[in-house]
Amino acid sequence: MMMDDLKLTALPEKEVPISHHRFEPYVDNGGTVLAVAGSNYCIVAGDTRMSDGGYGIQTRHYTKVFKLTDKCVIATSGMQADTIALRKRLDTQLRQYERDHGKSMSTPAIAQFLSNTLYHKRFFPFYTFNLVAGVDEDGIGCVWTYDAVGSHERVRFSSQGSGNQLIQPLLDNQVGKFNQQIVDGPRELSAEQALSLVKDAITSAGERDIYTGDFADIVTIDQKGVHFEKFDLKLD
Amino acid sequence: MSSEHFKYPVFGQVDYFKYNNVASQLASHTPSPSHSQELGAKKRTVDPIVTGTSVIAIKYNGGVVMGADTLLSYGSLARFNNIERMKKFGKSTIIGAGGEYSDFQNLSQVLDDLVVDDGCTDDGTTLSTTEIWNYIARVMYNRRNKGDPYWNSLVVIGHDNNKSFLGKVDLVGTCYQDNFIASGYGSHIALPLLRKAYKEDMTLDEAKTLIQDCLRVLFYRDARSSRFIQLSIANADGLVITEQIALDTDKWDSGDSAKKKKNQDGRKKKNNYRNDSTQVILEYGHNVV
Amino acid sequence: MTSVGSGYDLSVSTYSPDGKIFQIEYASKAVENSGTVVAIRCKDGVVMGVEKILPSKMLCHGSNRRLHSIDLHIGIGIAGFLADARQLVNRARSEAKQYKSVYGQPIPIKVLAQRIASYNHVHTLYGSVRPFGCSITIAGIDSTGPQLFMIEPSGSCLGYYGTSMGKGKQAVKNELEKINFTEITAAEAVKTIAKIIYSVHDGDKDKDFELELSWITRESKIHQLVPKEIHDNAEAFAKQALEEANLI
Repeated sequence: MMMDDLKLTALPEKEVPISHHRFEPYVDNGGTVLAVAGSNYCIVAGDTRMSDGGYGIQTRHYTKVFKLTDKCVIATSGMQADTIALRKRLDTQLRQYERDHGKSMSTPAIAQFLSNTLYHKRFFPFYTFNLVAGVDEDGIGCVWTYDAVGSHERVRFSSQGSGNQLIQPLLDNQVGKFNQQIVDGPRELSAEQALSLVKDAITSAGERDIYTGDFADIVTIDQKGVHFEKFDLKLD
Repeated sequence: MSSEHFKYPVFGQVDYFKYNNVASQLASHTPSPSHSQELGAKKRTVDPIVTGTSVIAIKYNGGVVMGADTLLSYGSLARFNNIERMKKFGKSTIIGAGGEYSDFQNLSQVLDDLVVDDGCTDDGTTLSTTEIWNYIARVMYNRRNKGDPYWNSLVVIGHDNNKSFLGKVDLVGTCYQDNFIASGYGSHIALPLLRKAYKEDMTLDEAKTLIQDCLRVLFYRDARSSRFIQLSIANADGLVITEQIALDTDKWDSGDSAKKKKNQDGRKKKNNYRNDSTQVILEYGHNVV
Repeated sequence: MTSVGSGYDLSVSTYSPDGKIFQIEYASKAVENSGTVVAIRCKDGVVMGVEKILPSKMLCHGSNRRLHSIDLHIGIGIAGFLADARQLVNRARSEAKQYKSVYGQPIPIKVLAQRIASYNHVHTLYGSVRPFGCSITIAGIDSTGPQLFMIEPSGSCLGYYGTSMGKGKQAVKNELEKINFTEITAAEAVKTIAKIIYSVHDGDKDKDFELELSWITRESKIHQLVPKEIHDNAEAFAKQALEEANLI
């Protein structure tokens, strides 16, 4: 028999990695935030789950709502690292404003300022979905809703983040009372009604959205200031 | 999971009979630094080369314990078997690193310089663990902004002023604190176990045992892990990084020696702090029916 | 000073006919006006002490430090303008950091001293700069053991067993010559330095002064201020020795 016939044919050749993944600078850590404004209050809710970009949960205790002034908070979902960077930026500049002007920035001014901040980074955006919520100089509740590059709009209520699709229509119906033939009672919600609605809304998002859950921060803002409370959501 | 996940020979993915064209097979299988085309030869970590795997840490009553194995892998090759992946910084902080080891060495130098600068300032204060953790988070985030990340998951533990600290930072700058943290493969395998087994006010011994149990399960399941581990502890007495510990694992000998050993050892005693199903998983890495 | 200026003292880029660079001499004058600095290289470490003259009673204790750490294993003592010296301290710190990042080990004291000396020296070469108005002592322990260097505005860099700078320079040198440097320990040197500084302090001309003491020992391997208790003991010892000397 020739030696050649003994050659093994099935030895593996050197293997090529199937693909070289490139560095991916963005991670979506998920989470849902929402806000409802009334004539003299504003209520904000955000869950505290932080996902790892997939099915995993990194921590159950990451607060998405951040106090900017005594009359204004920012609620952010999306990429946590970007959120922290954005917060730090806003916080330092708001404190600088305070020293320069001897008063804290008004909520409408903060809303415009955030838009500018996001817009200036539009070619490498903060992967953040924001709500600015609070009361204005007259104590009237207000909410601004944003996209990642600074488009913004003043609204009476809004939601952002992974549970947005679940919550926005609920708010449209229950707060906006859009397209209803018969509206039972006054169109404006009382603070108590809004609080209970917001809790139901975030709980509902937690039912179906895997990125929303664990706990919720419920934040009430009025003339008296910013008040945080904890609220339990599903842990699964 | 997509096929991209598999980067090393897996049955069904290796082209034993040369169905694909020959040219693609000439390319080296050896992992090597690659540089992005559009940025020319500008160097950055595009793919980690020499890597460490999971780090696990938990807070206990009076301090924090962290554990990691001592293996560095070169792709699928177990390249270095006895390398410390946990390092002290200053008087109250230990950092455990997973991912590209050279990046961690580089970061260590940055942090050592920071600690020396802080010491030279000699103003009666020293950097707290929280400050160091925050600093690392900013460094990691800035590097990801440059598209040149430190390819690491870093677990930071410390104990100052009677307060324990446990936090984590990853390669894009995500940072958080928690009562228990697992990085890398551990976030898939050890974290669920920790969620079941963790309770507040554990003793140091309980915490050490829990960490070792988790690392044992990781050794059973994570092909890039090793049986040789170290523990580090931060508490009121200061910082300790232990010598290498060999985990006691199932005997995988074959033939007679295996039979004998099995009979000698018997099964491990039950620990009293967790329920039966967790106990089984922690010992064997899977549910035994 | 022998002769004053006559046009040759306006720039370091001009020598005087008798071979002097007046700006360097003037810089040395600035050093001589400063509080005394004493440094001793012992068998188990290096100790530095400073007579820090207090221009105002209202200065906080511990302010305007004249002893600084450069790296874990190196310290610097200053005589002359603090502001000028701070430049050297910063430079020394970045040199130490750079050496460590390149070679992965702490910078040898001699290397650091020579690099700082070169930095001083380039400030004696160009018309656009003036020399630093300070001398420094560099103390540390490296693989060759305890080391002590003194660097002057001219850029000269010499190793010593014991050295001094500032007002009491000469008087201190007379005292230092009595010491057996191969036998003295850091603990003894702390007391000796305290005593010397108290003895050369001119209470009539100068107001209050604060004693600063720092050391690096083979035991700790870290340059730091002498711990309070040891410092206080040394100071008490110095005061007592001074009183006894005055009685006689």
